[in-house]
Amino acid sequence: MSLIPRDPLRPDRRRLLKVGMAAALMPLSGLQANTVSTRARVVILGGGAAGMSMANRLATRLSGARITVVEPREQHYYQPGWTMIASGLWEAERTVRPNADFRPAGIDWLSQSAVGIDADARRISLGDGNTLDYDVLVVATGLQLDYDRIDGMSTDLIGSHGIGSVYAGHHAAARTSDAIDAWLASGGGQGLFTMPQTAIKCAGAPIKMTFTTQSRIKKVGNRDDFALDYFTASDDMFSQPWSNDFLKQRFDRDSITRHHRRHLSAIDPQARQAEFTGRDGQTETRDFDFIHVVPPMSAPDFVKASDLIAQEGAFAGEWLDTDIYTMQHNRYPEVFGIGDVIGAPINKTAASVKAQAPVVEANIAAFLEDRPLPARHNGYTSCPLITAIGRAMLVEFGYDNDMAFLPSFAFIDPRDESWAAWVLKEFMLQPAYYAMLEGRV
Amino acid sequence: MKFTLAGVFAVLFHAIPPFLPLILAILAVLVLAQLLGRLRGYRMTDHRYRPAAIVALLAGLSTLWWLPMATHSRLGFVATATDWALLIAAALGVVLITWLVLHPLSYLVRGSRQRRGGTPT
Repeated sequence: MSLIPRDPLRPDRRRLLKVGMAAALMPLSGLQANTVSTRARVVILGGGAAGMSMANRLATRLSGARITVVEPREQHYYQPGWTMIASGLWEAERTVRPNADFRPAGIDWLSQSAVGIDADARRISLGDGNTLDYDVLVVATGLQLDYDRIDGMSTDLIGSHGIGSVYAGHHAAARTSDAIDAWLASGGGQGLFTMPQTAIKCAGAPIKMTFTTQSRIKKVGNRDDFALDYFTASDDMFSQPWSNDFLKQRFDRDSITRHHRRHLSAIDPQARQAEFTGRDGQTETRDFDFIHVVPPMSAPDFVKASDLIAQEGAFAGEWLDTDIYTMQHNRYPEVFGIGDVIGAPINKTAASVKAQAPVVEANIAAFLEDRPLPARHNGYTSCPLITAIGRAMLVEFGYDNDMAFLPSFAFIDPRDESWAAWVLKEFMLQPAYYAMLEGRV
Repeated sequence: MKFTLAGVFAVLFHAIPPFLPLILAILAVLVLAQLLGRLRGYRMTDHRYRPAAIVALLAGLSTLWWLPMATHSRLGFVATATDWALLIAAALGVVLITWLVLHPLSYLVRGSRQRRGGTPT
C-alpha cells in the first residue's frame, strides 16, 4: 500500500496547476515596468537592430513622448544570417524583411539619412536639408564599412576575381558563396582570410567563414589541395581567453596557417594578389585564388565629425564616446548610445543589443525623471562560433572577470562544439532576433 | 542572458510559422488516421499489430540519420549530452507519431480484410 494518498489527487492537481501557472506568469508581470509620462522629443538615429529595439521599447515605456526614428532604409536585414548565405546554406532573401513589420505604432519614422549632429544645440541635420531638435538622443546608427581603406578594393569586386566578403550585404554574401564555389571547382589553390586592424561587428564571422569554407572543401575535394591562411592584425584570435586558446589550437590542428599582426592594405584583383602590412610597416604580397576580405570599420562619418565621437583613449576619433556600463554619453548626458557605434572593447553583435536595449530603456526613463541611472550593462555578447558546417560553440561572455563566460542555458557548455548550438544558430536565433526588434525579449 | 516566459512565447511566435505547413500536415494525417479508425471501431488498447510498432521504431531510428542531415549537419557532430537528448527526444517523437498513425491504419486494413473473409492473424 502506498503511503502517498491518492484520492485527493484531482483537487491537488488543479491547485498545483493554478500555482504553476501563476509562477510561470510571474516573469510576465516583471516586464510591466512603469510608464513614464513625458513631453520629451526623443530622436533615435538608425532603425537597425538597436534602433528598432529602442523604438519599440520606448514607444511602450514613454507616454506622451514624441519619438522619431531617422532611418532611410525600408528593409531590415538579419545580418547574423549572412555567414549562412556566404556558406551556401541559406537563400539571400531569408534575411530580408520590411521594416514595417517591426515598426511600433505612434512614432514618427523619417525615411531620411542623418548627415550631422550638433550636440551643443541638440539638433540633427537631415539629408533633405531639414533639422530635427531633440531632448533625448539615441545614437543607434550602426557602423560603416571602410572598404576604401584597402587600396584597390571595392564592393563591386565581391563575387569576381576570387574575392568574397560577407559583410557588404546579403547579395554580396551570396556572391561570396559563388566565389567560393568557383574556387572549389578549380580543384585547389590558395585561400586567404583576413581580419582588419579595427574593431568589427560580429568578430567571429571571419573565423566562421574560414571554418565553413574548410567544410565545403572537405565535402567536394581533397583538403590537401587547398591552402588556407588567416591574417589578423591582432595578437589573438578572439576576445574570450578560453575560446582564443581553443581557436589557435584548432587552426593549427587543421593546418590553417595563422599570421598575426598583419592587416590587408591593398588588393590587385587582376593579378589576384593581396598586400599585407605589419605593425612595423613592412609589407608582404601574397597570391590568392580566393580571398575573404573583412574591411576596417568605424562609426559613420557624420558621427565621427560630431562632438559625440570619443576625444581620447582607444576609441578616439572612431567610435561614440559612451559609458560602456550605463550606455550614456560621457559628455552629453541626454545622449545614449547602443549597438555597433559605441566605443566598447567587445559588443558589436546583435546579442549585445539584446542585452543593452533594456539598460538604455531603463536609464532613459530614469534620466527623464531626473533619477540616478539604475541599470548597468555587463558587456554581454554572444557568438555562435561555427567550427564546421553542422556544429558550433555558443560562446557567451561579458566584461567582467577577464571576459568570463555568461552562458544563457545551463545545458549548453560554451566550451563544447555541439549540434544543439548549431541548431540554435540555424533555426532559433533569427526568431529571437525578431522578438528582440519588437522589444519582447 | 535570461529568457522570460513571455520572451519564449515571443520567440516561438517567430520560430513556428515557417514550419506551420509541415506541423499542420502531420497533425492532419494523425487526426485523420485516428478518426477513421475510431469510426470503424478501433480502440488503441484492444488492437494489437506488431509490424506497426516495428515500422514506428525503424522510423524513429532513421531520425538519427535524417534529422542531423536536415539541419545541414551529420550524426558525427552529435556529441554532447544535450545533443543526444535533443536527438533522442526527436526520435521518440517520430516513433510516437508514426505509431499513432500506423496503428489505426493497420486496424482499418486488417478489418477490411476480415470483412472480406480473410483469416485473422
